[in-house]
Amino acid sequence: MTTYKFLNVIEKCINCGGCFAICKDTNKVPHGTARVKIVTINEGVPGERNIPVSCMHCTNPPCEAACPVKAIEQRADGVVLVDKDKCIGCGYCGWACPFGAPQYPHDLHGAAAEYEGIMDKCTLCVTPFVPGATLKSPQPKCAQFCSTKCRLGGDINEILPQYREAKARNIIAWQERV
Amino acid sequence: MATRTKSMDKSSGIRLSRRTFTKLTALGTAAALSGISSVGTSAAEILVPAASAAPAPGVKLVKSICSHCAVGCGFHGVIEDGVCTGLEPWTDHPVCQGGMCSKGTSIAEMINSETRLKSPMKKVGGKWVKISWTEALDEIANKVKQVQSTYGPDSIFWMGSAKMTNEECYLFRKFAAFNGTNNVDHQARICHSTTVFGMANTWSFGAMTNSWNDMRHSGLIFFCGENAANSHPVSMQHILEAKRRGAKFIVADPRFTKSAALADQYIRFRSGTDIALIMGMANWIIQNDWHNKDFIAERGYGFDAFKEEAAKYTPEVVEDITWVPAETLKELAYDWAHPPAAELGEDSVACICWAMGATQHTVGTHNIRSFACLSALMGYVGKPGGGCNAFRGHDNVQGATDMCILSHSLPAYYGLSDGAWKHWVGVWNRHAPVTFDEMKAKFAEHNGKSLINVKGLTDSRWYEGVLNTDEFPVNQPNPVKMAFVWGHSLNSITEMKKMKQAMEKVELLVGVDPHATIAASLADRPDGIIVLPASTVFEKDGSVSNSARQVQWRNTLVEPMYDSRTDYWIMKELATRLGFGAHFTYNSPEDITREFNLGMRVIMMKQSPERLKKQQQYCADFGVEDCQAKSGPCAGEYYGLPWPCWNDEHPGTPLLYRNDVPISEGGNDFRTKFKDAAQSTPGNPVSDDGVSMLATGGYDELNSDGTPGGGWKTELDEDFKDIIAQNLCPSGSGRMRFRAWNLPDFVPTHREPIESPRPDLIDKYPTYDDVADHYRIPCKYKTIQQERKNLVNEGFPLILTTGRQVEHMGGGAETRSCHYLVELQPEMYAEINPKTAGSIGVKHWDYVWVETLRGRCKVRAYVTERVNDQTVFMPYHWAGWFEGESYADRWPEGTCELALGDSVNIICVDGYDRTSNMQETKACQCKVYKF
Repeated sequence: MTTYKFLNVIEKCINCGGCFAICKDTNKVPHGTARVKIVTINEGVPGERNIPVSCMHCTNPPCEAACPVKAIEQRADGVVLVDKDKCIGCGYCGWACPFGAPQYPHDLHGAAAEYEGIMDKCTLCVTPFVPGATLKSPQPKCAQFCSTKCRLGGDINEILPQYREAKARNIIAWQERV
Repeated sequence: MATRTKSMDKSSGIRLSRRTFTKLTALGTAAALSGISSVGTSAAEILVPAASAAPAPGVKLVKSICSHCAVGCGFHGVIEDGVCTGLEPWTDHPVCQGGMCSKGTSIAEMINSETRLKSPMKKVGGKWVKISWTEALDEIANKVKQVQSTYGPDSIFWMGSAKMTNEECYLFRKFAAFNGTNNVDHQARICHSTTVFGMANTWSFGAMTNSWNDMRHSGLIFFCGENAANSHPVSMQHILEAKRRGAKFIVADPRFTKSAALADQYIRFRSGTDIALIMGMANWIIQNDWHNKDFIAERGYGFDAFKEEAAKYTPEVVEDITWVPAETLKELAYDWAHPPAAELGEDSVACICWAMGATQHTVGTHNIRSFACLSALMGYVGKPGGGCNAFRGHDNVQGATDMCILSHSLPAYYGLSDGAWKHWVGVWNRHAPVTFDEMKAKFAEHNGKSLINVKGLTDSRWYEGVLNTDEFPVNQPNPVKMAFVWGHSLNSITEMKKMKQAMEKVELLVGVDPHATIAASLADRPDGIIVLPASTVFEKDGSVSNSARQVQWRNTLVEPMYDSRTDYWIMKELATRLGFGAHFTYNSPEDITREFNLGMRVIMMKQSPERLKKQQQYCADFGVEDCQAKSGPCAGEYYGLPWPCWNDEHPGTPLLYRNDVPISEGGNDFRTKFKDAAQSTPGNPVSDDGVSMLATGGYDELNSDGTPGGGWKTELDEDFKDIIAQNLCPSGSGRMRFRAWNLPDFVPTHREPIESPRPDLIDKYPTYDDVADHYRIPCKYKTIQQERKNLVNEGFPLILTTGRQVEHMGGGAETRSCHYLVELQPEMYAEINPKTAGSIGVKHWDYVWVETLRGRCKVRAYVTERVNDQTVFMPYHWAGWFEGESYADRWPEGTCELALGDSVNIICVDGYDRTSNMQETKACQCKVYKF
């Protein structure tokens, strides 16, 4: 059984913005909306870390529970998707999400204009901003292009060993020096 | 998004209804897809994520190399109907493993940018008029001829580009030669020219010694004036891997950078005091007897002089100069001499890395020399994980430097002597007939001397050649009357006010670039500007060299868009109009590669196009640890055939100066380059003080017949296979120099920046004496330093330093035209410490003025602890505002960049490196106040 997830080895994120840009390029996410964004904590002081934040495709998605119109649905492979047709843009999912992943784009143009105020978020590159195509094996471009390989995305069975190795050895390296 | 809208429209036209979407989601489809524009015909029209799988019909995946920094990351362009619609990762690329930063991942957007220059434009009567290529080229060629006949060939300044391919860079230098002038230069002057001078005068070659991947083996990685997380993001993949294996990662910088945030230790030091810091480390190492005496005895020269100078930098002296506490310095020196075991155990070595934080100083050359000497002190050279890693800036700035679009040398660092010219004329003569005498006749004479041997103007001060003031008269027959700005951002050059005047004074200014840039908009003039749309690097074939000397072939992704033309085509058309077209007419880029393969002998760039393309095809065979192919058709070769690549069988030289492996397997040695002409004889090179420059057991450089001599540099048809088979390095086996007797300071010596916050230290460590002729222009050092000695008490208390943002590149015309990058980084700012902000009553993101003696910039205040309360930091990618005034209406219609800002180079200091004429951008005095 395949389950898709993201894991971030935050000791390796350099805030290069590659995930943000390739996501925009791949999914045609309009200006002002981000499906993935890097958040920096402790900027400019020791302890500064960058965290790529997007929908984490939770096992028990609080957004799904919060949605009053049942627009949010989790696929069998774990990918959480919103049906933009059903979505009413109420914002409850935004309140429910611990990561602030749901976005409510505004000021849209062209084909995207239809989705003014309708929730958008990471779909593991299953579908672009203007929906219309699906994908059986999600291939998150942000993880594929990650410059330092800090962002791992895909089948949890594949990425978890990578994450554990990177994480454990980073922790050991740190402790030795403290 | 002009062109890509096509695909967007296509998808919107046949877009699945909102209702069917969910159903399809539940059903899923047959294979992976990229999600771009593949919607429409059926669920089967699908793109594939990696190169391994076959793309959908009509969709091509084409390998290419990123155009931003010199890491040289690879990617696949997704090409549909001749349009680049997106990117796919190149996951088996040996350097990047598929990784790319925000600039790289925006490439498709940049190629299709709607603000690109779409046709040749000419400014007439204050308005931009579209003209044809024929009109434009005829007018430019006629003006070139008129200026050359009226004022002489030196009255045209040719500013070239590190964004061209190796082939075009080579031709650009050749083009200047056929125009009879050495007034040709490019970005390397203001980027790493001091690295080249500093490294070449210490080691014998001027380039990064090791490679990106090689840093994985380091025990200690020391950044001094480098912020790789911003400027070379993908290199951090290897650095963080080294750290994961137990290496210590130390960042010394005036600013707590994003790289510093991930380091084990951060050391804040005052901008412009690198030499004091490094010499202080060297001194403490020598005092404690930690240095590598064997290496120094066998392969070093002039250690005593170095030791004597270093002794002046005691920890307490260093603390006073640099802000670094004496105890921290001692620990740093200890760490440098004892890198953690990490991967290599007892053999663990350290590497030092830098970029413009170290190079862009009046003492830049000596900063780099101090790094090289610090590395030599421990013998950390020619070893995996060691070396001196200069992180270069543009995708092909190493190549452009090797091709010497530089006013002081012909390609491959031959210099400008008659011998150098004869060598290259010999190469050019094989393509179309030309003799040395014909070439010499093209050059003017000045003060009874042919200018063919005289260094030309540099791009750091080209405007002085136009202005020709009483203060800075130009030492050539006539001032510059016409300038080509060919793929060069003018806002990366300091003293922009003077440059603006110069742009207003020249008779014709020609810009050649995919974007209009400020070449079109900066000058206040109603006419006399022509801008030509050059194609981007993705619209042509050619080779590019990354910082690690790795040469990669870059394929055409799409044909030149709009009405743009390749730089090669523009050069060829101009050459034809100027009467020497035969020398610039080639059947293919590969023919040009083969021509320079023949002549580039000093650095042995003999990487044939066939070998490069084969490596591209079989890139998966190259290991990530050492970039060597272990199997397959390229077995034994190193990725990119890093120079010196001696012949068509040589695997390339991944680590310079490594003498414990055979030359035929990538071994190398210090050249016997340094010799006192009067005292040396063939086979016996000696220094000015009579010391042999041969390494222990070493030998002089060789001719092809095995006798000592410089034949390896000039014998065009020899491949030196016999000599290499005997495990002899044709360039000799000499000594590196702690003491460089041909430089202003024989040993690195701290000198205060022109504008320093410490008047007392100016007395103690004054800068150089003024120079009457520095690349044809007088250069002031002591005079202005003395005049400005008390700036800190005269209202300019803060140190201004500049640097890069990860989202933007160079002058930023390309990246500031990209929607995604502008969304990430929309405005120019100055980083100021909360204390500074508090003292002037400014909140985060308020507008402030940053003012120096040169002028002022209106920018946002970015209140952060990255800088301390004595430093202000500003990124240098911004242009379009001039001292607070927007010039947005001056661009040809529709070509203005999406984000504009004030240029920090309006206010940077007018100091220049004493050796290379590098501009000082990292240290001057400023004040900040509320807008």
